[in-house]
Amino acid sequence: MPVRRISIVDFRNLVAVDLELAEGRIAVIGDNGQGKTNLMEALVWLTTASSFRGAPTEALVREGAEHAILRAEVESEGRTTLLEVELAAVGRNRMQVNRNRVSRVRDLLGHLVATVFGPDDLALVKGGPAGRRRYMDDLLIASHPRHHSLVTDLERILRQRNTLLRQAGGRMTREVEETLDVWDDKLAGIGEELGRARRDLVVLLRPELADILDVLGDGTRPATMEYESHWLDMGLGPALVEARRDDIRRGVTTVGPHRDDLCIGLGGMPSRTHASQGEQRSLALALRLGGHRVLAERLGVEPVIILDDVFSELDPGRAGRLVGLLPSTQVFVTAAGSLPEGIDVDRVIRIEAGSVASDSEAGA
Amino acid sequence: MYADAVQQVIDELGRLPGIGPRSAQRLAFHLLETDPTDVERLTAAIVEMRSRVRFCTRCSNISEDDLCTICADTRREGSVLCVVEEPRDVVAVERTAEFRGRYHVLGGSISPIDGVGPDQLRIRELLARLEPEAVAEVILATNPNIEGEATAMYLARLLEPLGVEVTKIASGLPVGGDLEYADELTLGRALEGRRRLGGD
Repeated sequence: MPVRRISIVDFRNLVAVDLELAEGRIAVIGDNGQGKTNLMEALVWLTTASSFRGAPTEALVREGAEHAILRAEVESEGRTTLLEVELAAVGRNRMQVNRNRVSRVRDLLGHLVATVFGPDDLALVKGGPAGRRRYMDDLLIASHPRHHSLVTDLERILRQRNTLLRQAGGRMTREVEETLDVWDDKLAGIGEELGRARRDLVVLLRPELADILDVLGDGTRPATMEYESHWLDMGLGPALVEARRDDIRRGVTTVGPHRDDLCIGLGGMPSRTHASQGEQRSLALALRLGGHRVLAERLGVEPVIILDDVFSELDPGRAGRLVGLLPSTQVFVTAAGSLPEGIDVDRVIRIEAGSVASDSEAGA
Repeated sequence: MYADAVQQVIDELGRLPGIGPRSAQRLAFHLLETDPTDVERLTAAIVEMRSRVRFCTRCSNISEDDLCTICADTRREGSVLCVVEEPRDVVAVERTAEFRGRYHVLGGSISPIDGVGPDQLRIRELLARLEPEAVAEVILATNPNIEGEATAMYLARLLEPLGVEVTKIASGLPVGGDLEYADELTLGRALEGRRRLGGD
């Protein structure tokens, strides 16, 4: 699903960028703060309807402008899909697919799918479980937009249930119990569906991770990957009943998919604490690339790949091995200064002060 | 920026649902250019609505008398109650002309975030109607969102032990639509709620 054209108006520091694109590897070069990551952020907004930096919409609209406009032509199965988004500094965003207005986020999703490698990916391995849950959920949503409502419904039910628990103030009255019953029922249904989907995803990811680490890794320690959930086997309904006393006392939902984790081990030890910096970097890359492979398999088409400022943190050996593993699809690589030796690209786009300063076929 | 009187109108209009600052401004300037008698008619209509309309003492629908027109209508079937969240939902069901029973307006849905629990809804009033009105069936027609469904589930658990038949309106495909354009969530619901064609 290569992007054939992208045009961006008033997004962050990008005033007006309009690029025709082909398949192959495209380098986006520029000094820090010139706008290369903004260009990637714009592209990724069209894949997730959110900023990969977690920025609110008003931060995305160029200062002084009322709207930012993103437009992309995406090719799939020989046809072109036109995605258009108008981000409003104040008020509602507008989204269109092939000139037809769509009101729900999930109607925008699925037309363009991207795998994004970012400079903060190390946190997938080193950081807390929230990042790994997000990693799994993002993959599920990208593989099927249906999962989007699962994830957002879960958040909403948890917010309602936790508010109710706080309002109860530690006391279990009949009214609190009766209302909890209802939320538990909803939570159990949606939570189990999400938990099972994540566990199935991990089964698909596991062999890819091992395969990638074989090439990418520096050691021989075998990696393991488990979906850690304390309730999935007994079912969330019974688990919520068991945890109810605790939930009421602590004023929060203590069991469910929002407490689960993706546990990655290396040589039998948790990689979060027992892996070297180099091993953790390889694992983070393997998680992204493994996710990409699972997605490509599920979708039947290679998603676009974005490597945002990844090489500055990698030693040349690992960088070269990563590039060797990339499938042939449209790949965007951003870098400050120049790309490391041995990384071939087909085109170099230089961004300066929010616009395209130069654009050339590589090697020319 | 504007004369105080104009700004005041813009601020007041801006508090209305669905009206942003720009729409509020456009409306205010429109009102300035409108014939004064038209403006007076509008303000009078609003004031009169507020003074005359209250809530039906039985079903909590909007009404000009103690009982709303539906509760007062003796031709309506008293044994079937349709439970909705808001008075505007009564209007929606009435438009179908399919329902001949009476209504009960809850005044919202269970939503702890908004500070609404069962006690804040007119559930006690609903229970109090069952016996005197000899209600045999309660149709739950809350919104098909998380809070609406939670409310329906809560009511079902409350009502079923009392020996009333509890039903919920079906959710599914819009009439006149195409199957291929239905989103998978709606289509999934429609499949779940499928029923036998004829034969029974």
